[in-house]
Amino acid sequence: MRVLQSVAVVFSAASLAFVLLQLAPGDPATALGEGISPELRATIRAQYGLDDSLATQYGRWLWSLLRGELGWSRDQHRPVAAVLADALPRSLFLMGCALSVSLAGGMLIGAWQGARAGSRRDRTTSTALLVLYSLPEFWLALVLLVVFAHHLGWLPATGITDETYRYMSTRQQFVDRVRHLVLPLTSLSLVGVAVFARYQRHAMQESMTQAFVRTARAKGLTESAVRRQAWRSALLPVITVTGLMLPALITGAVFVERVFAWPGMGFAMIRAIEARDYPVVSAGVILGSAVTALGAALADIAREIADPRLRTP
Amino acid sequence: MSRRLSPAFVLMALLVAVVVAGPLLTPYAPNAQLDIIALRSQAPSLAHPFGTDAVSRDVLSRVLDGGRVSLALAILSVSLSLVVGTLYGAMSTLAGGVVDSTMRRLLDVALSIPRLLVLLAVGALWGALSFPALVLLIGFTGWFDTARLVTDELRALRAQEFSLAARAMGVRGPRLLWRHLLPHLLPTLVITASFGVAGTIALEAGLSYLGLGIQAPQASWGTILRDGAGVVQSEWWLSLFPGLATVFAVLACNALGDALRERFAPNHVPRRATSRDTAPIPMTGTTSPSAFSPSRTVRP
Amino acid sequence: MIVTVPAEPSTLFPPLMSGTQGAAIVGVLFDRLAEIGDGLETYGDRGFQPRLATSWSWSTDSLSIAFALDSLARWHDGQPVTADDVRYTFRVYTSDSLVVELKSLLGNIDSVSVRDPRTAVFWFKRRMPRQFYDATYHMYLLPSHLLDTIPMAKLESAAFGRSPVGTGRFRFARWESGQRIEIIADSANARGRAKLDRVIWSIAPDFGASTVKLFAGEADFLEQLRPENLAQVARTPSLRLIDNRALSYGFLGFNLRDRVEPSRPNAMFGDVRVRRALHMAVDRERLVRNVFDSLGMVALAPAPRALIPDTAAFTQLPHDVARAKALLDSAGWRDSNGDGVRDRDGVPLAFSILIPSSSTSRQRYAVLLQEQYRAIGVQATPQVLENNAWSDAVDRHAFDAYLGAWQPSPGLVGLTQTWASRGSSNAGRYDSPAFDALLDSALTTFDPTASRRYWARAFQQIDDDVPAVWLYEQRSPVAINRRFITTPLRADGWFVGLSDWRVDPAQRIDRDRIGLGTPP
Repeated sequence: MRVLQSVAVVFSAASLAFVLLQLAPGDPATALGEGISPELRATIRAQYGLDDSLATQYGRWLWSLLRGELGWSRDQHRPVAAVLADALPRSLFLMGCALSVSLAGGMLIGAWQGARAGSRRDRTTSTALLVLYSLPEFWLALVLLVVFAHHLGWLPATGITDETYRYMSTRQQFVDRVRHLVLPLTSLSLVGVAVFARYQRHAMQESMTQAFVRTARAKGLTESAVRRQAWRSALLPVITVTGLMLPALITGAVFVERVFAWPGMGFAMIRAIEARDYPVVSAGVILGSAVTALGAALADIAREIADPRLRTP
Repeated sequence: MSRRLSPAFVLMALLVAVVVAGPLLTPYAPNAQLDIIALRSQAPSLAHPFGTDAVSRDVLSRVLDGGRVSLALAILSVSLSLVVGTLYGAMSTLAGGVVDSTMRRLLDVALSIPRLLVLLAVGALWGALSFPALVLLIGFTGWFDTARLVTDELRALRAQEFSLAARAMGVRGPRLLWRHLLPHLLPTLVITASFGVAGTIALEAGLSYLGLGIQAPQASWGTILRDGAGVVQSEWWLSLFPGLATVFAVLACNALGDALRERFAPNHVPRRATSRDTAPIPMTGTTSPSAFSPSRTVRP
Repeated sequence: MIVTVPAEPSTLFPPLMSGTQGAAIVGVLFDRLAEIGDGLETYGDRGFQPRLATSWSWSTDSLSIAFALDSLARWHDGQPVTADDVRYTFRVYTSDSLVVELKSLLGNIDSVSVRDPRTAVFWFKRRMPRQFYDATYHMYLLPSHLLDTIPMAKLESAAFGRSPVGTGRFRFARWESGQRIEIIADSANARGRAKLDRVIWSIAPDFGASTVKLFAGEADFLEQLRPENLAQVARTPSLRLIDNRALSYGFLGFNLRDRVEPSRPNAMFGDVRVRRALHMAVDRERLVRNVFDSLGMVALAPAPRALIPDTAAFTQLPHDVARAKALLDSAGWRDSNGDGVRDRDGVPLAFSILIPSSSTSRQRYAVLLQEQYRAIGVQATPQVLENNAWSDAVDRHAFDAYLGAWQPSPGLVGLTQTWASRGSSNAGRYDSPAFDALLDSALTTFDPTASRRYWARAFQQIDDDVPAVWLYEQRSPVAINRRFITTPLRADGWFVGLSDWRVDPAQRIDRDRIGLGTPP
């Protein structure tokens, strides 16, 4: 069921990309210029198969996607697959780190809050989290850039590695990578932490009022043991939320990559948009949807592992 | 309880007041290039509290004018999303059976496609969009969460006593929906709207920052940020003030949403938002048997 | 040395490269037959230095020149440079299957023939003052042994464009897409390796990010500084400023032909009254002061003042808003529906201005022009496109108006490419037989005085016709880290002497010490 769902997602994304391309003004022939001769235009249209029926074009589109032919990037003069092969791992790396940090930080803070629900510290933290939650990622990224890279000069401003990275020793390379990772990671994670923390806190509150907690207390378990039980039951929604966070991470990453010139998928897509390089953009949409679907599927699996009751027969 | 409401409402009221009345108070027109030689890129001063930009426009006026545009865009598109989403959710629940589950599956699929990427794709193909086009685009890509919410809520509501009672009395179908269920849906919708507006403000700022949203010379928080993007060091006022304004607006809406949620739905099925509008999370005890559906964030 | 640039070149294939970033890299990786002298003299062969050709001889009728190639010259892959390469290079640059901007500049060269493996002969159609210049300045030699098996039309997408092989004292090392392009000194070069070990072009997303890198010490060199950066450079002890008499000028170009039906004149810009009005409505002086402050001047013609023989010999249209409005009225463009925008027969006087994303000055100009035109009832909308998409659109005439900038080659022969009616880069399709004739006379006459007269009349002609509004010419200072010892910058390209730049041994920093060995 899940697999079908994921496939359906990718299929829909691909179809959407196709539909958008058809609806948009102009076709590849006119994109080449309005002053070209009618014969040349006819040749180009034939070359791209633009005169075939929509169904045929659609079929061809899907077939080439299945074979992994994602097209040619007019801007970068290379196959789109090459562009994405470069960019995707870098994005996944950044997003993966951000997810881990957000999850860990958020759960810790949320649990800490849940144990002190209603206290002043809890409320102050909540307010702080609300503020963090409201910061647009790209603005946060800009602020971090200005403060830490411009004024203080502690961290590098852009890029994923230094220019002379290839010539550094392994230890230096590691340090260099970490230094370049700090600011983008912080921009993405601060907001992520806020999201997870808010969620975790509420989930903790909820589970603390659940029946099994009362039972546990009645049985005479210590408070901390009770809390641990509650925490474990709050785990489930958090795993769920992790799957939800993926689209948010992708979109957040687009802006952060732009500000810090992190050459991942978001950066490649923005550049492709400015260059009207549609093959890259549509491949990005499809790939982004695939990643989201995959993440959701994984979260589903994790949920079912965590709580057997949820397993669908 | 009522104490909790005050800060959020105050913030919101302040925001609305500033945005509505502000442009009437500033002496400069937002797009007027006052003196391109002498008033170019001035740091904040008494005459220009937010400074001037590279073509000598007063930034304070632009921020206030931009607030109107950003807020208008957010409110209009969120309203559109709410209407479409509620209609879809209602129709789905009413239809029931196979149609219902198919529609829900379609929703799940739609929710899996990251919204920003679709917006970027449209931007790549159509280039710049007019204000109405933007409203429609953002509105029509944002209703999926609402629809999901509505379907889940309606299902839950249908099982409750008042609904059973109404049906026992012979009220059926659309009338049931309209007179009895929707009013109970209202608080949730308002909360969703609150978070939705917050998210859309941030989304618009991001899109305009990339050049895909509101177009120059029209001021909006995102376009001012875009102007200041290359000169963050030297002309910091171009990045600081619209950014703060955006944060303030988003914060106000989020705080309002939080407060409303505390007030109206403390014991309800928990939908602590992971996204900017609420997402139904199946929790133990109130699980719906359908497969878990990923939700999406409205925030860019 | 690390050069930071705000845009990535699309290709390093010399005939197809455009933009200053690509020009710099190609300029040090490839060589010409002979290098122009520092004074940028273009008459005859005065001042030219041997490069890939060690000597040359003119035929008695001056209609051909035979170049003797350096027997020690090698391509970076070890193969010797032969006369076949010269002939092949000419074929590529003049090929019909490729869109080569420079093609029209090679119009006087009839063909290139091979006399023996070390001698190539250029045959010309007419005696012209700039024969030698034409033959040597525009073309960078290409390796035929690597490329001639590829059909011409496929050269654009060949791998060579991303991993070029040349003859320069630097060789190509690697291109990490979206991040950096690295070149290293070619130790096997016959003329001696470059003094620097390596130069890395670091690609930043925009100019602001470039300045951040420069001031943070992550980069050593940045060109085309803006007025607001100058103060900060002065405050940074590790950087110094080198003034460069740049040869570029910027303008607002109009599309004189209809976009859909090119044989018809453009509904808006086909009328010279409209163009004159649009020129007079702009306060060019104030715009220059706003955007460039002390680093710019108003452009008088499609050439920088440094290259114009006699700047006082022709007159400009004045800045006169009232006259501009009157002209538009008389051309039939009036605001009939009160929306603030003039119209005629239901069509509003509205157009879009295409701007490349890497140029902040042009983006600023667009906003300023928008306001200036709004004041006379014309609606101009800026449209920003990424560099390569922008030059695509301009090349293919898919625009209403655009903000362009050119750097004419020495001798002003570039005008045949940019503003003559059959010029390959004449994007607006300006077509004036009078201008063509005057331009031709100015370029072909051997008498300097007569040449000056022709130039004056040519510039007057084009200033009257207003195919574009000449907006600015800018001085282009560069900022460089003090530890580099440079050669004097040539106006047509700061990179020309790059192979002789070196690091002061007393000021070396870590990254200067890496050496030429292969990375682990």
